[in-house]
Amino acid sequence: MNVVIMGCGRVGAQLAALLDEDGHKVAILDVEPYSFRRLPSTFQGAALVGDGTDEDSLKRAGIEEADAFVAVTQGDNRNVMAAQIAKHIFKVPKVVCRIYDPLREEMYHTLGLETISPTTVGARLLRDVIVS
Amino acid sequence: MYIIVVGGGKVGYYLSKTLLSEGHEVLILEKDAKKCEAITEELGSVVVRGDGCEARTLADAGTERADMLIAVTNEDEDNLVACQVAKNKFKVPRTIARINNPKNEALFKKLGIDVTVSSTNLILEHIEEEVPTHPLVHLLTLKGGSLEIVEVKIPQNSSVAGKRMKEIDLPPDSVICLMIGKWGAQVPSGDTILEAEAKVIAVTRPEAEEALRAALTGS
Amino acid sequence: MEIPKILVPVNGERVDEEVIELACTIAKRRKGKVYVVYVIEVKRALPLDTEIEPETQKGEKVLKRAERIADELDYQVDTDLLQAREVGPALVDEAVERGVDLILMGIGYKKRFGEFNLGSTVPYVLKNAPCRVLLWREPID
Repeated sequence: MNVVIMGCGRVGAQLAALLDEDGHKVAILDVEPYSFRRLPSTFQGAALVGDGTDEDSLKRAGIEEADAFVAVTQGDNRNVMAAQIAKHIFKVPKVVCRIYDPLREEMYHTLGLETISPTTVGARLLRDVIVS
Repeated sequence: MYIIVVGGGKVGYYLSKTLLSEGHEVLILEKDAKKCEAITEELGSVVVRGDGCEARTLADAGTERADMLIAVTNEDEDNLVACQVAKNKFKVPRTIARINNPKNEALFKKLGIDVTVSSTNLILEHIEEEVPTHPLVHLLTLKGGSLEIVEVKIPQNSSVAGKRMKEIDLPPDSVICLMIGKWGAQVPSGDTILEAEAKVIAVTRPEAEEALRAALTGS
Repeated sequence: MEIPKILVPVNGERVDEEVIELACTIAKRRKGKVYVVYVIEVKRALPLDTEIEPETQKGEKVLKRAERIADELDYQVDTDLLQAREVGPALVDEAVERGVDLILMGIGYKKRFGEFNLGSTVPYVLKNAPCRVLLWREPID
């Protein structure tokens, strides 16, 4: 599978490493080249400096051939915008987007984006650990 | 009208000031406490501190009864989200987004934003209007720098206007790829007639640029 | 010191009585005037001129009570019911419009998240009112 990941934070880097290990073709984008230090030295994929809300950067990352796109930068709005570009402009079959704000997540979910809110998921997990 | 302005920077401030003077009810949403304070001092109780992309802030702001939401922050993604939340969650009839990167114009339209305003494009249009004497515009330098794509406007009095493409003498390595005339854009063949006032997109070498301009615009 | 015009904001709390009495006493001695105002804060979800029945009733009741307190001191106050988005700016605007010389505000000892909290109205008025401001805090009970 060809996967483009936007945002090389802890989650982005780890996801890239996992997919890479499984033999997928991964391209990861970040505006800050220093972020790529989080990638393991064994990483076989491409690490590109660029903004995932910019169509040209996405094209350089191979979005036109991508089977999946994941937006995991720190900014909810940036993730939402990049995900919509991937879905509506480049017609990427599988698009996932991280949104911290639960209310915003709910709305974009109803608008047809596949979304994950670590806030909701994390709070639930912690509660389950406490009350179990 | 009740108008919500997202972003209390310079654009948001002056826009709101004008809208208020026209008698509209205006509310500015701004994240920065200092900016909020400054606006309140100048314009009165017309600002609420908060993130205009957050559904809760928008609910408190009475977005449900707003006739229009205008997002004018410096960040295109914030403007997009504010408009989308307003439109989809609060059914605001009209949403307007400021766009900083002109490339986002098509995307925003596609995603349901009613109106987009690109300051970059506005300035460019003005420059083009102000500088009609310069009919050749650089569009792109191709990789390696040996070829470039330019746009040329064919003047009314050009000696080649009305001629067939194959009759026009172009400098070496120069090709007209596209003509945008009265009937829209077309890929010209040798028999296509070059219209006066049309724009053509051509590939050329940087050193032949001046000769190309002369060939197409000379009288 | 000449203090002929005093603005007294009220909101139906216990402290209202004390500040109205105080204002009347000062004004009476100096032949001044007392304006008692009640500000209804209208949420942005509603247009500013919406009539909010329970709030209007409460405001009228509080102002009636203010008039009675003044009556007992043999004094007459002017009362006004206002609607605004925020109390602070509304009070400052009112003070400027009526050209008052003093705003006399009473507050209770309020806690928020376990600590004393002044709220936002008092600091706003202290910072922005062009005239004198006298703050009267109730004793801690």
